[in-house]
Amino acid sequence: RIMPVRWSRYNPSYLEPEVKKESYQKPLEELTEEEREQMELKAVRPIKAAPPTLSSSVFSDPMISKFTNMMMKSGNKVLARSLMSQTLETIKRKQLEKYHKAPENEKVTIECNPYVIFHQALKNCQPIIGLSNITKGGKTYQVPVPLTDNRKRFLAMKWLITECREHKHRRTMMPEKLSQELLLAFNNEGPVIKKKHVLHKMAEANRAYAHFRWW
Amino acid sequence: MAAPAYPVWVTRWVSGQWRNKKRPPTLRPPRALALAAKVANRRQEATCITEMSVMMACWKQNDFNDTPCAKEIEVFYDCVAKAEKERKSQNEDTLSSRGNLPSSKVNKLLKRFPQITRYV
Repeated sequence: RIMPVRWSRYNPSYLEPEVKKESYQKPLEELTEEEREQMELKAVRPIKAAPPTLSSSVFSDPMISKFTNMMMKSGNKVLARSLMSQTLETIKRKQLEKYHKAPENEKVTIECNPYVIFHQALKNCQPIIGLSNITKGGKTYQVPVPLTDNRKRFLAMKWLITECREHKHRRTMMPEKLSQELLLAFNNEGPVIKKKHVLHKMAEANRAYAHFRWW
Repeated sequence: MAAPAYPVWVTRWVSGQWRNKKRPPTLRPPRALALAAKVANRRQEATCITEMSVMMACWKQNDFNDTPCAKEIEVFYDCVAKAEKERKSQNEDTLSSRGNLPSSKVNKLLKRFPQITRYV
């Protein structure tokens, strides 16, 4: 039996699989030059196997899958995914409650889509500069340093998850606490945003050391 | 006047001792007087510091909120992206912004064509 393994190193000529249905439904004339070249290349080169987490459905979201993976403990993806869906459901319920109780003119401002709330909350939590330890003359200094997009996303998600795991009452469920934190972050309040501000303040205090960077 | 006390350099000068090579050598080279086989490591200075300081000043005024400072933050991100692209394209053979090759490349070239110090 041959086991298809994604983690083995592919030959560099292998291309990434294209999963979105819309890209295949476009008629030939609408494609640009680059896209035509890309299609011709795909006809000749071999393609990597698609990972099981990559899906073509409308409901799948790469950020949400990344967040679910970070929440997962010891490989229990079933539990992590159920927690995530319960979180989104709780957010929707809370927002709908607020929506139906609010007067007519405020109904437009209330956001009910949990995916929008999740993305906006993550964006609000992302730090803009980070600190890195640089040793110079025997002493280590905390130098303000720009971060890459991946690092920002990772830090935002990590802060959210640690915050929910640590500062939680023993009896509160994770989806409940997570939905609370996400709603607070959506409105730029809450402990995660405070942590981000603390990081920014430290970077600002150490801005004199910014010249120690060599990149 | 008994033996007049002149300073030491006067006596030495008058005796002509100083002219006849009985003096310490004028130059004591700390290292060998020849070009080395490598170039010193040229450190690149930090990029995007002005944008960062502008952004931090904006933060200080607006109590570290991101919404009023959105423009400065965008400028900073653009600068960071540009610097990153420069660094990626730096791996070609010419550092065109300064007009010199990076020091690692120069060292590699020098190693390929070493200075011949002895003939066999």
